Amino acid sequence: MRKQVGNTGIISTFTAGSLRLKLFAVPLGLAWKHCGVTSDFLGDFCSARAVRGSVDANEIRHNVCYLVNELLENAVKFRTSGDIVIETSLENGDFRLCIANTISKEGALRFQDVLSGLQGRDPSELLIERIERNAADPNSTGSGLGLLTLMSDYGVQLGWDFQASSDDEGTVQLATYAVLPMP
Amino acid sequence: MEIKTSEYRIWVEDAVIHYEGTMRLSGTEAYQPIMAMMNDVLESQPEEITLDLVGLEFLNSSGINLLARFTIEVRKQKSIAIAVKGSTRIPWQSKSLPNLRKLHPSLQLNFV
Repeated sequence: MRKQVGNTGIISTFTAGSLRLKLFAVPLGLAWKHCGVTSDFLGDFCSARAVRGSVDANEIRHNVCYLVNELLENAVKFRTSGDIVIETSLENGDFRLCIANTISKEGALRFQDVLSGLQGRDPSELLIERIERNAADPNSTGSGLGLLTLMSDYGVQLGWDFQASSDDEGTVQLATYAVLPMP
Repeated sequence: MEIKTSEYRIWVEDAVIHYEGTMRLSGTEAYQPIMAMMNDVLESQPEEITLDLVGLEFLNSSGINLLARFTIEVRKQKSIAIAVKGSTRIPWQSKSLPNLRKLHPSLQLNFV
C-alpha cells in the first residue's frame, strides 16, 4: 500500500544531491538533542555558499535550521524504531530535504488525518484558526501547528510518502519531503 | 522569577519577561513551567506586560504556540496591554511574530 499526500510533485522530482545523514535510534532525550545539533549543522552547511556574516547567510542558516528541526522533531516523536535518514540538496536556488523514518500503521492513519485537515486552504489563515482552536482546548497538543508555520511563515512546500512495509510488522515507511525557497 | 538552563534563560523584571538563548523544548507540556511563570505575571494585573525576545535566537513551533496561547490569555483581560520586543537580526521573529498581532490587533510589536 502506498499513499502520497500534499505536494506530490516535489516527491517525484527529489534527488539527493549534496548530503546524506543517518541518525541511529537512541533514547528519546538524547535523540531530541540530536535534532538541535543536526539542524544547526545543516544550517551552517547550507549557508557556507553565502558570504560569511551577510544577511543572506544568516537567513539561510536560520531557515534551513528551523525547517530541519521541525521535521526532525516530528520524526523523533513518532518513529517506532530504527534510523532516521536525512537527504538534502541545493537546486535552482531551493533547499530540498527528505527525512525518512518508520512509524506504526495506527500512527500513519492518525497523521494522514491531521494532514487532510491542512490541505486546500491558505496556510496563514488556517494557522491562526488552529491557534485559536488549540487555545480554547486545554488538552490540545497543537498538532499540525509546526507544519502550518513552515508553510505559512517560510513558504515551504511539503509532501508525504507513506509506504506499508512488506513484512508483517504493521509498520509504515514515511518519507517527508520539503522544498524551502532560498533568499 | 527565573528559569535557567545551559540553553536558555527566562526571567521577570517588574512586568517585563525576558527570554534569552535557544528554546527547543519537546512540546506543550515541557513548556508548562514557562507558561506558569508568564501566567503569574498576568495574575499580578499590571497595566502592561512586555515580552522581550531580543535575545531569543531560536524558538521551535511548540514555543511559538506558547507565545500565541499567552497572547490570547492577555486578550481576554481588557485592562492589560501587551508589547512584544523582537530583533530584525533573528529571522524567526520577523517571520512569525506578526501572527501575534493577528490574534490580538492591539498588541504592540516593535523590532530593534
